[in-house]
Amino acid sequence: MRKRDDSLGALEHIVMLAVMRLGSQAYGMTVRREIESATGRDVSIGAVYATLVRLESKGFVKSYAGEPTAERGGRAKRYFSMTADGKGALRNTHEIILKMGAGLKGLGSN
Amino acid sequence: MRGRTLQALTWILSRLVPESEREPLVGDLMEEYALRANVASPAAALKWYLQQICASVPPLLWARLTRAAWISTLGVALLAYIAVGVVEFAVNRAISISPASGAYTFNPLALVIMFPIVVLIGYCAERFRRRAAIVLGAMMLLVVTLMMSLTTENMPAWFRVAYFFVGPVAAILGSTLRSKHISR
Repeated sequence: MRKRDDSLGALEHIVMLAVMRLGSQAYGMTVRREIESATGRDVSIGAVYATLVRLESKGFVKSYAGEPTAERGGRAKRYFSMTADGKGALRNTHEIILKMGAGLKGLGSN
Repeated sequence: MRGRTLQALTWILSRLVPESEREPLVGDLMEEYALRANVASPAAALKWYLQQICASVPPLLWARLTRAAWISTLGVALLAYIAVGVVEFAVNRAISISPASGAYTFNPLALVIMFPIVVLIGYCAERFRRRAAIVLGAMMLLVVTLMMSLTTENMPAWFRVAYFFVGPVAAILGSTLRSKHISR
């Protein structure tokens, strides 16, 4: 029998962490900004949305519509929050990274 | 003019996400554009907006293609069909220039050689996409049926029957072997 895919790709992992850090304020553009300010990595809004949609189809995040605002041309925000499965997947990915990094020398900062 | 170009580019971008995400995506872009135009300058904000649209197309396009599972299955089956065609051409060519085999037309050797190759291609196709080998078999059946009904060549009955079954049966066998390999 095939095992359920609960692994996270590199960008999925980063987006999940950003959603977690932002809490109730996680929507497309804030997730993009959070990644940019925390990592210095310039991620496009399209890459963030593609990842969020994929995470939602995997059941790792859920979304709900926010209120429309004037500065958005009357368009509503879409907020994202992590599900229990998402938290589990994030924990698994962290454990894998910690296990793989355990005992490794030469990874410290210069 | 510039406004219309931006509107058109934004519209194209919004078509690449599911309907539920269109409004939020465009709203997010507008919100950040307004913020940057206030903090920096409208020109810098416009540059950022255009960069975002250009950088967003490849990941959204890829996500859209991979979401449509039947398109990928059809794509893999089509690539497998092309691979079968190329190999079949090479095999027929090799047989035709071999002095021992004589004329390649209606040569059973071609079918014997092609059978395991199609099984292998079907197996590989199934590895990439589930049911791709079945679609490959169906495509081969369709093309052979069309060829048989349109050809004016006087084909022996045995070759007609063998040609009709060899490709599809081999592709389905490839699919079955892959399924058995996974379940083991």
